[in-house]
Amino acid sequence: MRDAAWVTWLARRLPQEVFEDAFVPALADRRAASLRHLASAGWMGRSGASFRYNLAVLVLILQCWRLARGEARTSLRAATAVDHTRTGSPGHHRQREHFVMNLGYQLRHAARLLRTQPLFTTATVLTLALGVGANVAVFAVVEAVLLRPLPYPAADELAVLKHRDERTGIEKEFIAIGDFIDLAARQQVFATFFPYSSGSETITGQGDPIRVDALSAGPDLLPTIGATAVRGRLLSETDAREGAAPVVVLGHQLWTTSFAADEGIVGRRIRIGQTDREIVGVASPGLRFPATRAREVGIVVPIVLPAAAPAERKSGWVFAAGRLSPGIDAARATANLRTLSEQMEGEFPVSNQGSRYFATPLADTVVGDTKRPLFLLLGAVGVVLLIACANVGNLLLARALGRRQEMAVRMALGAGRARLVGQLVAESLVLSALAGLVGIAAARWAVVALVSLVPPSVTAPGLADVGINGGVLAFTVGVTILTAVIFSALTALTVRADGGGEALVAPGRVSSSQAGRRAAAALVTAEVALAVMLLIGAGLILRSFSNLLTADPGFQTSGVLTVDIALPAERYAAVESRSAFYERAFAALRDRNGLVAAGAGVVTPLTGNNWTVPFERADRPVPAGQRPPDVGWQSASGGFFDALTMPVRSGRVFATSDRAPAPRVVIVSESIERQFFPGETAVGHRVRVGDADAEIVGVVGDIRRASLTDEPRPDMYFPFERSPGTATTLFLRTAGDAAAIAPAVRQTLRDLEPQIVLGTTTTLDRVRADSVAGTTFALSLLGLFAVIALALAAVGVYGVMAYVVRQRTREIGTRLALGATRQDIVWLIVRQGGTMAAVGLAAGLLTSWLAAESLAAMLYDVSVTDPSTFGGSVGVVALTAVLACYVPARRAARLDASRALRRA
Amino acid sequence: MRDRLPPLTHLQFAVLGTMLDTERAGRDVRDAIARFGVKRSAPAFYQMMARLERDKLVEGWYEQITVGDQAVTERRYRLRPAGRKLWDATRAFYERASLAATRERWSDA
Repeated sequence: MRDAAWVTWLARRLPQEVFEDAFVPALADRRAASLRHLASAGWMGRSGASFRYNLAVLVLILQCWRLARGEARTSLRAATAVDHTRTGSPGHHRQREHFVMNLGYQLRHAARLLRTQPLFTTATVLTLALGVGANVAVFAVVEAVLLRPLPYPAADELAVLKHRDERTGIEKEFIAIGDFIDLAARQQVFATFFPYSSGSETITGQGDPIRVDALSAGPDLLPTIGATAVRGRLLSETDAREGAAPVVVLGHQLWTTSFAADEGIVGRRIRIGQTDREIVGVASPGLRFPATRAREVGIVVPIVLPAAAPAERKSGWVFAAGRLSPGIDAARATANLRTLSEQMEGEFPVSNQGSRYFATPLADTVVGDTKRPLFLLLGAVGVVLLIACANVGNLLLARALGRRQEMAVRMALGAGRARLVGQLVAESLVLSALAGLVGIAAARWAVVALVSLVPPSVTAPGLADVGINGGVLAFTVGVTILTAVIFSALTALTVRADGGGEALVAPGRVSSSQAGRRAAAALVTAEVALAVMLLIGAGLILRSFSNLLTADPGFQTSGVLTVDIALPAERYAAVESRSAFYERAFAALRDRNGLVAAGAGVVTPLTGNNWTVPFERADRPVPAGQRPPDVGWQSASGGFFDALTMPVRSGRVFATSDRAPAPRVVIVSESIERQFFPGETAVGHRVRVGDADAEIVGVVGDIRRASLTDEPRPDMYFPFERSPGTATTLFLRTAGDAAAIAPAVRQTLRDLEPQIVLGTTTTLDRVRADSVAGTTFALSLLGLFAVIALALAAVGVYGVMAYVVRQRTREIGTRLALGATRQDIVWLIVRQGGTMAAVGLAAGLLTSWLAAESLAAMLYDVSVTDPSTFGGSVGVVALTAVLACYVPARRAARLDASRALRRA
Repeated sequence: MRDRLPPLTHLQFAVLGTMLDTERAGRDVRDAIARFGVKRSAPAFYQMMARLERDKLVEGWYEQITVGDQAVTERRYRLRPAGRKLWDATRAFYERASLAATRERWSDA
């Protein structure tokens, strides 16, 4: 339990006597009570304990202030309104008491005053609450997704191993088995280091086949992420040795749902894929790894690795992660891994040239994609809050200027400047606190709405339990105090040190003070500048996003249904039986479901997959000791190209005649032709594929394979006809609505093979939409905030101009009386407002131009100084500002000269 | 002899009464008087105790205790002879007063 600095500071402001007699022993009790609570509370209870403790101490301080006031009252010291700060300080002790008493008194006074002006108070509080609420809601999401640690013990020590090919710049998380084994033996930075891979498996022999999320893992994984065995045991070292009996650990949920929480489950055997495995244990509930998984892991099987690195280093792939040793961070781990990568490059130049391994904190890899949009949103709501603050600041300024006479009277009666400023500060505090309360209430609702709107394809950890907790509350308190400080500073400008004598002499004639007027103008200017900045930022991002949405992936997504299937491995052990099935299936699907084209492919485009294969011309082998460059890998049937309507530039696509024992063939994308066969045609050339050669029989168009933002990269296609797998994805093109034929397609497949496992069935359009769903969502919010900002800025400009018109009523009346036309008056007012807006526009434009570079990484196919976005945003804000000025200007022009003069 | 009203308030009487036989932690005293329905914030309670100390009725000191593995302090109190004397006198007053009241009621009957 530690006292926060502000708590100590506040406590030290208490009168000495109260501090010693009441505060110190009460604080000791509080501390002991908190510690006792902590000792008995679980992990959940401990979270936020420090925040609760400091809150309790704050309450203690408030109680002590009450005591101090009570004491002061009885000694009749507080009865007079005489200001000690002005009449001379009666000593430090007294002053402290005074601060305390004054604050309480002034807060109550402020609350009473605000109650008498419900319209002003409501407008102010609602404007601010909008800003605070939006900030709290977005912060709650940021807190849950980015700031909250992952659900593993000491999660910040967990790191993932990644790999970068320095020649192509491609980053991958999976690493070659040979490299893993050598790294595991040589590395000195991980306390535990384990391989893993995740996917799905089929359990058969338990009635209907069950498709479950499977995790293959080294024995250290489960203990490292805090999993325990509720029945039996977890994986052991011996399970992962070559030749060990196959075992499996069940996930808790699978055990309860599919095995009815059978107590005698340990020792039973189940068939997973093609292997019989003995169940050795059941893991504790809530086992999720990797953390982005939406569901609990169903089964955990050991990854069996050879004891020494195999000669063919890339005979298999695994993911790797581990817990960093104490005192080692990701940067130091990366330094060590770099040395090892260079060592291995020297030893195995053929396989490891350019390969660099590095460590990334697990949390970063999990939140990777969501980080930038979220911080962007936080920035945007921050700007909304600033604009809301500026609006409220304007209202307060106008009000303060209207109260100058009151202030002058009070100053003349002996109140010090400090006391008057204190009064304004108190009012700001009360307003901010109210806005904070309303904002939190609104945010509670907004958070629920926000989370329900997040597209299901966004699987950020922590998203499920976004809420208003201690951290979020602390953030709100911080924001509220910040707004109060801003207003206080603004309104304090209007209280003049000289006592504002002329306000007393001629109350009706005083125009607003120079400082006040300047502050109001500065606020409007700042508001306009902020609105322009937000609009330009949002505009740039939205434009690049619309480019992204309309980007040509190189194939047609509309009208294509994709179905993930898995055939029972036992019945389809032979290649021939699999080939026969796919042939029958494609024929039946075409006949029965009216398909235009049907094909199979292993990699579904736009799902982030970047599997690669080395590319080497047979007639120009790379020099000995060097590694050929990597290109994208895909295994596809001839129908795949038809279904995706990929253009065939030359040659042909695969056909059933390409099955073994026909000669090996491949298809390449046109960028391979450009890059490796400059000035000649690729078709007819031979490439190295493993130990054999294959002939290029076709060249197809480039596609954006991993995601829409990826530039098209070289890809090589292998005939699915030659090596059809048991699990693949079918790509089915129909002339009509792809989603509509899904049930019929599934039925056709089931009729052909009753034991087939049908996985995800979706359309390529959906795959494409899902691949950008997170961004779409974040950007819709960004657009919303930009509109709110614009509206708030318009209200701000309108408010100030309306006030200006009121202030200048007398002058306008005189002008009208002297013969000014209505147009003159409108022009007069619009010019004044326009000047402020123009300065704001210029400032906003300049700042955006300077800051736009920081957005560059998020832009796609849009220049950071895109003239149309800049021009459009400026135009919109300028038009809004002119309209906001025009309304009060017209009102001014309609004034009746004689009445205006009399009223003034 | 004329019977004077004792200078102790009911609350002070109750507080001193909790410490007749033993010294106590402030927290315990506060819990004990809470049972009489007296609700005082911790600062208000300790301010009252400080006044009793100033009037030399109780003696207070800080003592270190450990909670879990952390050392914290707590304020402890014991009755001073003057406090004891005043409490006894107050109790005697109430006894006499109640006796007198009973007698009067019987004589009225």
